[in-house]
Amino acid sequence: MSDGDSDERDDRSSERPADLSRERESFVRQFLRKGVELTESLIEDNKSLRSDLAEAQREIARLRAQVASDDAIRDLLRKIEGLEVERNKLLERSSELEDATRRTEHRNFEVEQELHDLANLYIASSHLHSTLSARGVTRHLKELLQQLVGAEAFAIYLLDSAGSIARPIAQDGFGSEALASVRPGEGAIGEVLMTGVPRVHDRVDVGGTLDNPIAVIPLMVRDRAVGAIAILSLFRQKEVWAAVDRELFNLLGSHAATALIAANLYAEAEGPLAALRGIDDHLTQTS
Amino acid sequence: MADYSCLVVEDSPMMRQLLVFALARIKRISVTEAEDGVDALRKLAGARFDLVVTDINMPIMDGLKLVKRIRSDETHKDVPIIIITTEGSTEDRQRAMALGANAYITKPIQAPQVIQKVKELLKLE
Repeated sequence: MSDGDSDERDDRSSERPADLSRERESFVRQFLRKGVELTESLIEDNKSLRSDLAEAQREIARLRAQVASDDAIRDLLRKIEGLEVERNKLLERSSELEDATRRTEHRNFEVEQELHDLANLYIASSHLHSTLSARGVTRHLKELLQQLVGAEAFAIYLLDSAGSIARPIAQDGFGSEALASVRPGEGAIGEVLMTGVPRVHDRVDVGGTLDNPIAVIPLMVRDRAVGAIAILSLFRQKEVWAAVDRELFNLLGSHAATALIAANLYAEAEGPLAALRGIDDHLTQTS
Repeated sequence: MADYSCLVVEDSPMMRQLLVFALARIKRISVTEAEDGVDALRKLAGARFDLVVTDINMPIMDGLKLVKRIRSDETHKDVPIIIITTEGSTEDRQRAMALGANAYITKPIQAPQVIQKVKELLKLE
């Protein structure tokens, strides 16, 4: 090897370390730069991932909230359903109670009406027998017909002792018109006097004359008619017979005549004790 | 002790008895009876009543005159008045209501109807 070659080699070897050093530096710089870039990239990625994570967590929270809300809604819906079932049961129960109340009120009304009817009969009977005056009995009879039955025009007939003719003993609603007597068997009143069977039209707007009264009620003593009440018309506000009217007619039929007879007999006695004279004999008699 | 006192004015003993019976079905009511308008005024002067039930056709003083007198009486001018009568025409009813009656019931009465009207006017259950 020549000196030239060794100088060349020395020159090249002194250049190589400089190149290597530069390359090394360059490499290190590049490496470091890459490292920095990588680190920055990683940091960026980390940031991004954190952001994504936060977003995901928020989304989870939101979904959880929604699920909870859905659950809450479902709970509420279940509760609403339960309340509606309860409400329907309560409505049903309320309706049943209303029906029961209506039935009770209706029954109370019926009971009050029955009591009223009984009161009518009791009062009618007690007033008929409360007096031993023939005028008093007749007055009560008229009052009964007007106040309790609602009769506007009526006449009360009694047969004579022979039973051949019935004369009016009281009347109302005829004005000053004088009533004629009636013979048993003649006309509607006469028919009832003969048969002892009441004649009462179903409708109160039928008839309305002495030939065809709306009601004729026989006054009975045992099975014998001794008189009759003829009702020609009722007060305008009374459009139908009341249930108690038939019962009142039965009562009148059986009590009015005996009350009149008692009053008539008492009128001929000289006081109550005289009227009781001879009663012992009647009580011991076997009839 | 009754909470409400009622005056029944009726010349017919039979009707008076029937009305008293009907009103007795209402608890808390005591009933005083009068035979006609004059008797009623005497009783009204001596006591305070919460309700008056009166007939129209009565001797001495009829029910319509009685209503007028009650409405001019300071103590009883606002007391509810029920007319119970055989007079069933619209004119009779209007005349009575114009004088100050609160209710008009025609005879023959039905006790449940009277009881219901009394409870209504006294605001009872």
